Amino acid sequence: MTKHRLLTCATALFLTTGTALAHVTLETGEAAVGSTYKAVLRVPHGCEGKATTAVRVKLPEGFIAAKPMPKAGWELRTVKGKYAKSYELWGEKVTEGVQEVDWTGGNLPDAYYDEFVLRGTFAGDLVAGETAYFPVVQECEGGTVERWIQIPQAGQSEDDLETPAPGVKLLPKK
Amino acid sequence: MTKHRLVGGAGGVFASLLLAFLLWLALPAVAFAHAALISAEPADNAILAESPVRFTLTFNEPVSPLKLTLVRPDGTPVGLSDFHVDGGTVAIDAPGRLGQGTHVLSWRVVSADGHPVAGSLLFSVGAPSAAPPATEPIDWPLDIAIWIGKVALYAGLFLGIGGAFALAWMARGRDGFHATALFLIAGLAAAPLSLGLQGLDALGAPLARFADPAVWQAAQSTSFAWTVLAAIAALGLGLLSLVLPGRRLLSLAALAGTGIALAASGHASAAEPQWLTRPLVFLHGAAIAFWAGALPPLGLALKRRKADAPAFLARFSRTILPVVAVLVLSGTVLAIVQVQEPSALLSTAYGRLLTAKLALLIVLFGLAAFNRWRLTAPAEAGEGRASARLARSIAIEIALVVAIFGIAAGWRFTPPPRALAIAAAEPAAMHIHTEKAMADLSVTPGHAGPVSASITIMTGDFGPLDAKAVTLVLSKPDSGIEPLKRDATKPGDGTWRVDGLVIPVAGRWSARLDILVSDFDMVQIEAPIDIRPQ
Repeated sequence: MTKHRLLTCATALFLTTGTALAHVTLETGEAAVGSTYKAVLRVPHGCEGKATTAVRVKLPEGFIAAKPMPKAGWELRTVKGKYAKSYELWGEKVTEGVQEVDWTGGNLPDAYYDEFVLRGTFAGDLVAGETAYFPVVQECEGGTVERWIQIPQAGQSEDDLETPAPGVKLLPKK
Repeated sequence: MTKHRLVGGAGGVFASLLLAFLLWLALPAVAFAHAALISAEPADNAILAESPVRFTLTFNEPVSPLKLTLVRPDGTPVGLSDFHVDGGTVAIDAPGRLGQGTHVLSWRVVSADGHPVAGSLLFSVGAPSAAPPATEPIDWPLDIAIWIGKVALYAGLFLGIGGAFALAWMARGRDGFHATALFLIAGLAAAPLSLGLQGLDALGAPLARFADPAVWQAAQSTSFAWTVLAAIAALGLGLLSLVLPGRRLLSLAALAGTGIALAASGHASAAEPQWLTRPLVFLHGAAIAFWAGALPPLGLALKRRKADAPAFLARFSRTILPVVAVLVLSGTVLAIVQVQEPSALLSTAYGRLLTAKLALLIVLFGLAAFNRWRLTAPAEAGEGRASARLARSIAIEIALVVAIFGIAAGWRFTPPPRALAIAAAEPAAMHIHTEKAMADLSVTPGHAGPVSASITIMTGDFGPLDAKAVTLVLSKPDSGIEPLKRDATKPGDGTWRVDGLVIPVAGRWSARLDILVSDFDMVQIEAPIDIRPQ
């Protein structure tokens, strides 16, 4: 193993770890189209030092048959709606489902870390190579809000954004 | 980027990850998470009675400052190097005693991810202020040339054409013929030169570029071109009236031309209401020419003890009173329109020139009144001593008139308070149009200091855009000012507003609008906006 490779690796680890700790992020950053995906939202801190009281996530188009995992101490609510088009799942047509998941009424102090989980399937006709974004609104005590909803424009990288939305890079169908 | 792609086998992955982890531990002790400013002392927008001794920035995580800058009210950035960090608290010593006015404290710190976080806050010592006016360098040779050109043009229009008029209508002899012709020729020479100088001034070009066609093209597009055109026509008519028959009509037309030339451009003619100011400028100019132009021929005739001098004097003194009344009345109204407030007579350059002109006018009127009521009657009666005194007195009057022309030519360089007030209130505006959204941002007044921002947003295809929130983010990287964020409010008229904003420094700012379209969808648009000095 060359020194150069090691450094690249260290940098990669440093950067990925750093990013992971900095924002609300997804534990797994990649998924194949047509596969089930367990989205683990990691909430590393509150808003400007205040405790988190709600986490709301909007699911990307094409992330179908989604189900959230209930969480003790938090009320769970889902917003269902029609998808932009119909998708095929196990030979059946799916046209509607969960599009937003809210965990509310909890209390996650700034000093603690927690995860919020949901599961679904990336439809088989999504385009590999693109990134599916899960914009998250983090609400805190005193009405402060952090919005992890910025999606990079063409030519922008996630690092250019102050509050990037967590994303999953779509890999080719397995 | 993932770990899998970087190394090959499973053992390799483990070994490299372990080594990488050790390397990572060895990296300088940076903090662990995305930092956010929790509180600051002084607080954003604070107004302090006294200069602060230190600034304190408190973040939610330990941070390490990369760059700390204080921007003084005059726009000079000062790097702040005296600070100490205690976890998430950065205490910064103030760079000495701070002056009155609005300061910007800009910070750029690094937290866990090595991703710098930056922001700015404003605080004022005493009261919010603005940057002092930026002084444009004065091109003295050009300004002096413009001034001389203007004085020569006035001499031609007033003394030349007025002289031709007096010779045609009031004098019997030809005294003052040469002087009048000289004034007219000087004016004719000065008129086109002045136009070229005007072009140089419009482009901000130096005297050396006088022959540049671009300069003359620029001059042509100014209203002063009309003045020059009318002046050349009037001066030509004046010259013709000296040599051709029908001199009364020609000189009358020339006198009207003087009024037209003056009314065509200049501060007073540009003032509103134009239906009032332009005719007043016309009358004022014609009256000046009538009065001032008669003085050299009259003075010379009296000095030379010409037989026709008493008759000339009698005609002049019969008509001068209504002319002076027109002169004073039109001048007074124009002064009120231009100066607006008596205090501006001393507080602005324009007002001070007007004050100086008024002072000279009072002396001139005093002298003229003395001539009119004490010397005219005996001189008309043919008394030699009175005539000589009157001639001397008229010579002084002419000197005063020329001095007044000099002052009036100085106005060329000073915008009147009326124009200053309009310019100062003018908003700075920008328009951004992107595929996702478009916005109009106007900052009123458009200069440094306390301002309000008004924002109108629409979708990219001109549809209504009902945003949940709009945030205005201003930054000025070249002055070391990191983003200043202000949430906009909705006054209910379809616009968004940011009130109580202070723009601390003039120049080109970057304005970004964060438009929250829905809970999960934010559009950011950004464009530069130019803020004038106060």
